[in-house]
Amino acid sequence: MGDMDRSVLTSQGFRPNRRQFLIGAAGVLGAGAFMSSCGGSSSLSFGARTVDESPTTQLKGLISAYEAASGNTVVYNATESNAFQNNLSQYLQGTPDDCFQWMAGFRMQFFAEQGLLTDISDVWDEIGDQYNDSYKIASTGLDGKQYFVPQSWYPWGLHFRKSMLADLGIDPDGIYDWDDFLGMLDGMKSKGLVGFAAGDKGGWEAMGTFDILNARINGYQYHVDLMAGREQWTDARTREVFTYWEQLVPYMNDNVLDLEWDGAMQLLLQRKAGAMLMGSWFGGNFLEQSQEDYDDLWIIPFPEINPEHARDTIDAPIDGFCVAANGENTDGGKDLIKFAGSKEGMQAMLDTGVPMTSANKNQDTSSYDSFQKQQLAVMDEAKYITQFLDRDTRPDFAGPVVGPAFQQWFRDPSSIDGILESLQEQWDALPPL
Amino acid sequence: MSVTTAGEPRSRRRRRLSSRGDRATLGLFVGLPTFFHVLLVWLPALATILLSFTFWTGINFSDITWAGVDNYDNIFFSTPAFYDALRNNAIWLGWFFLIATPLGVLLAYQIDREIRGHRFYQSAYYIPVVLSLAVTGIIWNFMLRPDGFVNGLLGRDIDNAVSFFGNYDINIYVIMVMASWRHIGYIMLLYLAGLKAVDPALREAAAIDGATEWETFRKVVLPTMRPVNIIIVVITMIESLRAFDMVYVIYGTSAGLPILGILVFQNIAGEGASMKGAAYAVILFVLSIGPIIAYLRQQFRQDVS
Repeated sequence: MGDMDRSVLTSQGFRPNRRQFLIGAAGVLGAGAFMSSCGGSSSLSFGARTVDESPTTQLKGLISAYEAASGNTVVYNATESNAFQNNLSQYLQGTPDDCFQWMAGFRMQFFAEQGLLTDISDVWDEIGDQYNDSYKIASTGLDGKQYFVPQSWYPWGLHFRKSMLADLGIDPDGIYDWDDFLGMLDGMKSKGLVGFAAGDKGGWEAMGTFDILNARINGYQYHVDLMAGREQWTDARTREVFTYWEQLVPYMNDNVLDLEWDGAMQLLLQRKAGAMLMGSWFGGNFLEQSQEDYDDLWIIPFPEINPEHARDTIDAPIDGFCVAANGENTDGGKDLIKFAGSKEGMQAMLDTGVPMTSANKNQDTSSYDSFQKQQLAVMDEAKYITQFLDRDTRPDFAGPVVGPAFQQWFRDPSSIDGILESLQEQWDALPPL
Repeated sequence: MSVTTAGEPRSRRRRRLSSRGDRATLGLFVGLPTFFHVLLVWLPALATILLSFTFWTGINFSDITWAGVDNYDNIFFSTPAFYDALRNNAIWLGWFFLIATPLGVLLAYQIDREIRGHRFYQSAYYIPVVLSLAVTGIIWNFMLRPDGFVNGLLGRDIDNAVSFFGNYDINIYVIMVMASWRHIGYIMLLYLAGLKAVDPALREAAAIDGATEWETFRKVVLPTMRPVNIIIVVITMIESLRAFDMVYVIYGTSAGLPILGILVFQNIAGEGASMKGAAYAVILFVLSIGPIIAYLRQQFRQDVS
């Protein structure tokens, strides 16, 4: 199928979170204070939903390039990602930054529907030809207008260290189906290592594993239908996902519910675990450790389970920017977002040296390192793109219901039938949208 | 209530009428706080109660639709997490009443008797009280997380770390130890203040009459401490039910340790906001205020008789 079939689903979702929510809260307050002190057409503000080192470097690179190109001054406000996400409704109804970092799909559409985002269809008229249709779909609200400009995406795939596989004498390209995969895990286990690093303390990490198992076993369409409530959680096909998942449990670390995503990453970074299913965003964390660790990092698509669906689906959440409707300088915000989405803006972010896979199709990818090129290859193998469970289904279902259900499953995999019944019951009890 | 009591002495005792200035001052002192209290506490509380009977995402007023008791129906009959949270709050309450609060009282009693080094103990137990629960959570998280201090001391790496927060059979008790660390000092301080006010002559008299230490405490000290006891019971109840910050610091909104405070926040924050969160808040409100009103009424009735 062509590009049109890469329909990108609706969304919510999170980027890795750190614990500095106090700093985040201070950031929100700071944002308010700054907003009142500045104004005028040549000054605007930008809201970053991260306080981590690498993405901050990247965004500041974008902002200084924009300031140099436009002559405008930009106030940069940063908030820790969880705090930013939890406060977004209030933030957008108050005095938001003119342009801010957000996520594509359902999460953007929700706020667009509430009238809190600025329609930027005119920006898309200018930069639209630089993007594939899948990105435009992901940037479009339910009313058919655009409210979002993509920055980057990251594929959810099987990550491992090339050197550790080499020690086992396994060729990464040789891991194609489930048996190959289990063979590799056995190899890791026989060396006394954790085969499959997992963390689910945050409640969202394991959703990626469910997504990909469901897509591999039952196919893209079934997964999409389940997320939208057209299929049942109690269906035998949904149940089968957990029989496969259970096969992975013996290879996992014992403390899945103690570790967040970064704990699982540490297992891989410290060579204590062989493989991990995660989004590729953490390349930057490996690079912070050392160039050598980064060069050792590799990704392949999650293995095939049902030959009928091969490896045709991938979770690849898109991050990007929106313009707030209640900002003081929406025209400035639109100007900034146009720059951010252009090839020049993307290049400014890439030039900071922080790994990123640009969403812009005209991007010169010759500067990409081999890990980034491999991400592109993994992406290209997929026909269908999903965002992520917490971006693909209702937010009042994903976080409060599905997250705890998967945690419950890790506690006691044998209780799966009760868990699935409860999931379906809670879906049925949701209020109408 | 404040209005009638202000007027009463005037009519009954015929004391000199307060001047216009006095009345204005009085009105200001009573009226302003009342106004702000109603505006900032009662109106939001009433709004929450009303909203708990609606479906709403919390943004545009035009989107509010009537839900009847659907939110409550959902919580009581379709949400297993609610009962987990009730259980955890009940454990919290039981632990505080049976372990943490009595320990605080015991410490206060020992320190009041000026045992050796009591000043040191007093400051040591009091220090955690000056920290907010959120900070307490951050400190203990540093200590107990997989890559934290305690696991480091035990020589364990993150792949075989002791599971303090992820083992659901014990994590509520880990949290209880953390919460008690602060609560004991708090109770100790309150009780110590009360003990200082107990007339030493009472104890001497009891000792002369041949009462044992325990009898003196139970039959002499405890009854004279009644006002403080009431405060301590109420505080313990409120602290256990309103628990939120420490758990949030460690688990975020994930359901690692469901308690009512977390369920309120989880259902009302972010774009998943629904008035199910308001319904949780109302349940929490009723649970907190019901027993407290009943207890206080009973205590005050005893005072009258």
